[in-house]
This record gives sequence, structure tokens and C-alpha cells, in this order.
Amino acid sequence: MDEPVVHISGFRMDFADTTVVRDLSFDVRAGETFGFLGSNGSGKTTTIRALLGLYEPTAGVLHINGRPFKPEHGSRLGYLPEERGLYKKEKVMDVMTYFGRLKGMDRHSARQWSLAYLNRVDLAGKAATQVDKLSSGEQQKVQLGVTIMNRPELLILDEPTKGFDPVNRRLLMDIIGEQKSDGATVVMVTHQMEEVERLCDRIILLKDGTSEAYGTIDEVQNKYGGRIVRIRHAGPIPPSPHYEVTLEETNYAELSITDGTDEAAILRELMDAGLVIRSFTTTKISMEDIFIRVYGDHTQPPSSVPARAAAARGA
Amino acid sequence: MAQHNLGTVISFEFVRTVTKLRFWIGTLSVPVIMAVVFGMIFLSNTSTSTAAEAQKNAQFSISYLDASGLITPADAAAFGAVPAASSAAGIRDVQSGAVDAYFEFPAHPETTAVKAYGADRGLFENGKYAAVAQAMLARAVAVKIGSPQLSRLASGSAQVDTVTYQGSEVSGGMNSVVPPLAFLVVFYGLVVLLAGQMLNSTLEEKENRVTEMILTTLKPTTLITGKVLALFMVGLVQVAVFASPILVGALFYRDAMRIPEFDASQLEFDPLRMTVGLLILVGGFALFTTTLVAIGAVMPTAKEAGNFMGVMIALIFIPFYSVSLVVSEPHSPIVQVFTYFPFSAPVTALLRNAFGSLGIVEAAVVIAILYIGAALMLRVAVRLFQYGSISYTSKVSIRTALRAGSRHAVAGPAEHPAEK
Repeated sequence: MDEPVVHISGFRMDFADTTVVRDLSFDVRAGETFGFLGSNGSGKTTTIRALLGLYEPTAGVLHINGRPFKPEHGSRLGYLPEERGLYKKEKVMDVMTYFGRLKGMDRHSARQWSLAYLNRVDLAGKAATQVDKLSSGEQQKVQLGVTIMNRPELLILDEPTKGFDPVNRRLLMDIIGEQKSDGATVVMVTHQMEEVERLCDRIILLKDGTSEAYGTIDEVQNKYGGRIVRIRHAGPIPPSPHYEVTLEETNYAELSITDGTDEAAILRELMDAGLVIRSFTTTKISMEDIFIRVYGDHTQPPSSVPARAAAARGA
Repeated sequence: MAQHNLGTVISFEFVRTVTKLRFWIGTLSVPVIMAVVFGMIFLSNTSTSTAAEAQKNAQFSISYLDASGLITPADAAAFGAVPAASSAAGIRDVQSGAVDAYFEFPAHPETTAVKAYGADRGLFENGKYAAVAQAMLARAVAVKIGSPQLSRLASGSAQVDTVTYQGSEVSGGMNSVVPPLAFLVVFYGLVVLLAGQMLNSTLEEKENRVTEMILTTLKPTTLITGKVLALFMVGLVQVAVFASPILVGALFYRDAMRIPEFDASQLEFDPLRMTVGLLILVGGFALFTTTLVAIGAVMPTAKEAGNFMGVMIALIFIPFYSVSLVVSEPHSPIVQVFTYFPFSAPVTALLRNAFGSLGIVEAAVVIAILYIGAALMLRVAVRLFQYGSISYTSKVSIRTALRAGSRHAVAGPAEHPAEK
């Protein structure tokens, strides 16, 4: 089996007397898009910073391409940190050329590449504009351009869509997709579960500094029940060892199948209990549902669960 | 790659500084102000000498009394002066407006002041009374001596060339002091003008949140070294700009600005003192730059960092307050302390080197202190930047940041919970 691009084993991180990450281990394989998920303060950014040598780990092994990361190793890394920033008083083109040169491009190539990129993201006319004169969304685009200069082999994106409107979010996702098609390995720290389901091959969920779930999307979905039954009905839902009622409203309910029972058996059980079933659909548990189940509804406004239910009903 | 990146950092930092309008406004404002001052000196000197001449030749009615016997009626007549009946009468004539001035020459004008009484013509024009009284006396003395040559000698205008020896070798005197003293001027210029930039050079990465992108792209040592070298180059540009009006003035307007006559060809460039001066200049600049960069790395904002700039600037001026001691008693305890304390060493040692009181062993020790100190501060600055600048909003404890080089992270509790 190929050596993983990212290998983290037994990672522990203490800040003074607080342990932020404990005994964390996972690999990221070449060419995959890896989702790094977790609630605020769960240790994601700390892990990324330690992986990139910005923090000294308290314990553990953190390797990129088989050794601790050092910029002078010449790895083609594209890193979009959570804390965004550019040289605000410089012109867009000067900043991009500077980073391009630091990443090993010659001045001409860096400028040519930057012009093409700015054209792609509708900023061609802003090449000579001072960075702080751009809107925050435009600055994000420039920063993404700096990140993907010189065809990175490993892209680490810490909340890449933060600050983007839906249109630019789509553009960003397209660009990340292109990088992946070009062979880049992508590690994405995000809260956007839709992005995770659309882009990621495998994920890790971090909770309180430890791994809560790790594997492919299917594997993680299966771990959390895998399938959801949505029903429109009349009458009370009977308790069952085969499912758990995760949402119940007057005429609508969501049941999470907790064992290997198939959907037809569940339907039969409900009808045998005298329930009037008006509609019966099954779906896989969404990553958003898993996220909320793992981290709790306190991460969302109280109204969001009914809102999701309404969305699921097509209301 | 590291070489390439060092060049890239130097080029980026230098170009972006010298292509800014505000850099040139700040830089050019100094020579412009100097030009204005020189212009005012020029105009003032011109008008002063004109006024002095006018005052000496001023024609106004004078009465006088001479107890010294030096002033003959012919001397007095040359100035239109007539004898007064008495001291009281002379003063009364001035008060009544009968004459413009009354001069009272004492019996011993070489020890006692001549008294001049005159009608008030304003602060500046009143100077004519003293000027004319002196001119009358000078003319009288010159006539008494009887020889213009002797008169010039008596007025102390004889030229003296001094030759001094160090052993059997002729020593350079002031001509050998001036060239190495230039390093002190350059040092002051560089540090005073660039201290703010030194302090802010790493703060910018921190305040703009560029640190993480930078630290994953190049070694912090390369970044800091590049910034220090770029600052040195910027400093040289500023020194050149600032020096230009002085050079122009010295070359083309020397007389008008009353720059003392000195023949540049007589300047002595002692290779040893020039080498020592250059090494101390570079070492001192490197020490101050790395120290200010290190301070910038642990401060969250320019405002907080600015408090430290005053301290650093004070350190280079303190030895200057005891400059006479440095020159006259270079081996006194206080001068020795200033010589070897790293942050006062550059100024003290450059002064002593210029005046020839810094021995070769002392120079070697000072240079070693500065270069070792600069190297250590560079390491500290790099470490503080590496582990401190990522702590965006809080001031990092220096001790914690330095310990971070081993196995601890520095982001305090205030930093990591903000993580998303």
C-alpha cells in the first residue's frame, strides 16, 4: 500500500495545563479529499498547525510525505489558513508574484499564472489594486489563488468557504475539484456538511480533541444508523428495538434504523401497530444529522431542527 | 531554494518600501527641511554680515570721552565723533536728541567695558552703537601699532599648523577623527530613522494574519534575515538622501554656510580604524534590528510595540550624554560599562574608535559582543516570530515563547479556544 501523504499517530497537544488534542491518529491517502470535521474548539486547527510545524506537538508523530513538514523540504503545499490575511497595503499582483516566487516559480511564470487566475475569478481588473481596497470576498479569492499557486501536491484548506457567497462558493468548489482532478490531495476543514458529502472521500470527526468517527462517508453514516425512514402518518408511533424516533411532529416523523432490519420490515411493523401511513421514504442519514447528533443541537438555533424537518417534507 | 527565497524576501521588502509614496514623503522631508534651514542660515548670514558692515560704517552723530588716550581727534573725526564736555553731558545730549550716541572709553578698555549710550532704534539697529565703538577703538589701536601686518597679528588672525606625533609617526589629529566618526553618524541615522520599521516589520505579518502562510512557505530565519538586510538597504538609501543636501552645501555653498575650511584631501583614512568602525556599525545595526524585530514578534499591535521603541532609542543616546568623558577619560568605569554593554557599545565604541582611544583588543571584544549578541538576538527573534507571531491577538510571554522551541506550544488559553 502506498505511503499516506499525511500520517498522524498518537498526537497530543497541551497548552499550559489544558489538553486540546489527545491520542489522535489518522492518515490521508494520496489523491483523496479528506474532510476534517469538528465543532468549535475540538482541535482541528491545532492539529493542522502542528502538522505544518507551526506548533510543537506535545507528543506523537505528524508526517507529510513520510517526515515532519518543513518549508525548506520543497513539498508543494497549498495552505489556506483559517486566519486569512495578505499584505494589505500591497497590490494584488505584487502579493501573488511574491508568494509564487517563494513557492519556486520564476517572476514571469508567477505573473502569468496570477493574471490567468485573476481572469478566471473575475478579478482581472484588480491586479494593480491594493489588497485592502478589495471586498472581503475578493480578498478570499486572491488568497485562494495564492494557495493553489505552483500546482500543490497537498492542499490544506481550513474552512475554505468562510466568507464566500453561494456563487463564489460554487466557484471555489469547482477550483478545489480541479485541483483534485490534477492529482492533488485535499484536506478540508469545514463545517459545511453539504461540501463534505459532495467532495470528501473520507472524513474524521473530532470531538473534544479525540476522534469520534473516521472512515469513508458510508462508513461513518453506517456507524450512526445509516438509514433514516421518513413517514407521514396518523396515530402514535410504537416503540421498537429496530428503530429510534429522532423527530416526531403531529403527522410527520423520522426514524433512525438502529440495526440491520430492512425498510419493508419496518413498514410492516408500523402498519401492524395500526399506524396509518400516508407516505414512507428512506434515505441515508445526512452528515449534518450526524454532526448535530455528535455535537448536540446547541450548535444550531433551536428552530433549526423543525426547519430541517420542514425542508425534508418539502414544505 | 533558501538562497532564492532570501533574495525574494529582500527584493520584496526593499521594493515595496522604496516604491511607497509615504516613504519618499518621509525621506525627502528631512533634506527639504535641511535645505530650508540651510537657506535660512544663508540668508541670515548674508543679511547679518551686510548689517554688521552697515553698522560699522553707519553714519550718525557721536560724542565721546576717552580716558585711555588711545583715540586721537583724527580717529574720532573719521567717524564724525566730537568730544563731549563730560559723561553726564554726553548722556544728556543723547536723551535730548542732540546726538545719536555717546561713547565712553575707559582708561583700560582691555579690561573694562566701553560704554555706549544711544537713542533707541530698535533691538537690531541698536547693535550699530557697539559696532562703531569697537571700530573706533580698533582703528585707533591699528594706527598706534603703525603696521597693518602687525595689526592683523595682534588681532589673533595668525595661522597655526599643528603637527603631533604618536611615537615617531605623525598623528592625524582631527583629520583622522572625521572619517571613522562618519560611522557613528550613519549608525544614528540608521537606527533612529528605521527603528519604527524594524519594530513593525514582523508585526505586519502578525497584524495582517499572513504569518501562517509565510511560515509554511519559507523558513522563519530566511524571512527575518531577509527583512533585516532589506532594512539595511532601505537605511542606506535614506542616509544617501539625507546626506545629499549636506554634500551639496559643502561642495557649492561652503562659504555662504560658514562651513569651516577643511581640505578633504587631508583626511586620514586609517585602515584599522575604518575597518573597526565598519564592523561596529554593521554589528550594532544588526543587534538593534534583531532586537526590535524580536520585540515586534511578541507584541500584538504596533501601538504596544511602540512603547519599547523609546527605550531602544534612549539606549543609543545615553552614551552621548557622557561624550566628554568618553573622549577625555575612555578608561573610566562608566565609559567601560558603556563600551561593553551591548546596547550602548556601538555608540561608545564608535566614538572611542574615532578618537583613537579604542585599543585593538577592546575593539575585538566589542565586535565579538555585537556579532554574538546579534546572532543570539536573531535566533531569539526567529523563535519569537515562529512561536509568538501566530498568537494573533495576545501578547506572548517571551519566556514561554523561548521555551516553545523545545516541546511546548505558546498559544495561550486566550488563543486556542477561538479555533473553529
